[in-house]
Amino acid sequence: MRKTVNYFIASIIMVLSSTSHAHFQMLYTPDAALAKGQETSWALIFSHPFSNGYPMDMGEPEAFYVVHDRGEDIPNKTTDLKKHLEAVQWTNSDNESASAFVANLPKSITRSIGDYNFVLTPSPYYEAEEDKYIQQITKTVINVGGAPGAWDQPLGLPVEIVPLDKPYANWVGGVFRAVVLSNGKPVPHAEIEIEYLNHDPLLEKNTFDPVGKVTPPQDSFVTMSIRANAQGEVMIGLPKAGWWGICALDLDDGQLYNKKELSLDAVLWVRAYDM
Amino acid sequence: MKEALMYKLITFLLLIAASHSYAHSPICDCYDNGDETISCEGGFSDGGSAAGIEIHIIDQSGKILIQGEMSEYSEYTFDKPAVDYWVQYLAGEGHTIEIDSRDIEY
Repeated sequence: MRKTVNYFIASIIMVLSSTSHAHFQMLYTPDAALAKGQETSWALIFSHPFSNGYPMDMGEPEAFYVVHDRGEDIPNKTTDLKKHLEAVQWTNSDNESASAFVANLPKSITRSIGDYNFVLTPSPYYEAEEDKYIQQITKTVINVGGAPGAWDQPLGLPVEIVPLDKPYANWVGGVFRAVVLSNGKPVPHAEIEIEYLNHDPLLEKNTFDPVGKVTPPQDSFVTMSIRANAQGEVMIGLPKAGWWGICALDLDDGQLYNKKELSLDAVLWVRAYDM
Repeated sequence: MKEALMYKLITFLLLIAASHSYAHSPICDCYDNGDETISCEGGFSDGGSAAGIEIHIIDQSGKILIQGEMSEYSEYTFDKPAVDYWVQYLAGEGHTIEIDSRDIEY
């Protein structure tokens, strides 16, 4: 009987912990503001960035590309990056692993000055606990040389978070603003989750740094849930250097995938720097 | 009297407008194409075009080896000189950027 109670308590804790730590599609590179064009390394992991929680299996991405824009009157350029993807097993400090992808991109891709909008459309992930699929279309914007491009323009994705501040040029202590769009239109009062990348990905080891940078007082600080305003705008503070993930949930129009509900989410990663 | 005030106000507004345009910092970077040519790209911190901005390629004595201007796509490509040189991006008074050829990488 006691064993049954223990199992029951354990299962309740597991359910609580899985719902309190948000799934986040990561599109990670160490630096967002590059002084000059250079090779870049990327990790595409579906995980829990604050808690170093269990990673989840990624299927082959539907799309992985970059849109380069370096300012007024210059046509932008889209480069498909799927051929650079390498499948890996990504492990957390509890030795739980899942399939993920890394990409080492040559300098030729980010040699020019300007903005580089990296876009990842992962394949839908089946979330057994909720009997539905999750697909998080994710953007990470980096810049070379300080010449801005179209960082503030929508890329025409089905769902996306469009920055109102440069996602790669933020001092710690500042704020970051953006608009949540679904089919090009703002989403009033969109449900938003924010997570700080507390355990840096160690690209040479395909794992997360087991040492977190901060310890939360309690779970409300792990995944911070907020709402967009009536215009679909989001504003977050940036109290610590590193990457901050913003995820707008359930932006779909009732789409199905494999005859099951599909939660179509938009993720944007924002980098803050110490002064 | 009113007219004089109006002129002062217009002058003041024009001055503000002019100074605002100088608040944008010029940006220029060059890279070696690996085929004996060098490409430079320019812009401004507000994303503005660098089309028409003059470029000088000078040697160590200050002699102009090559001169040209940024294209409609804010770029300029030139044949790599056989000697060390500087690229000057002449984006207006106080807005010149100089790049040492030894800092230009493939």
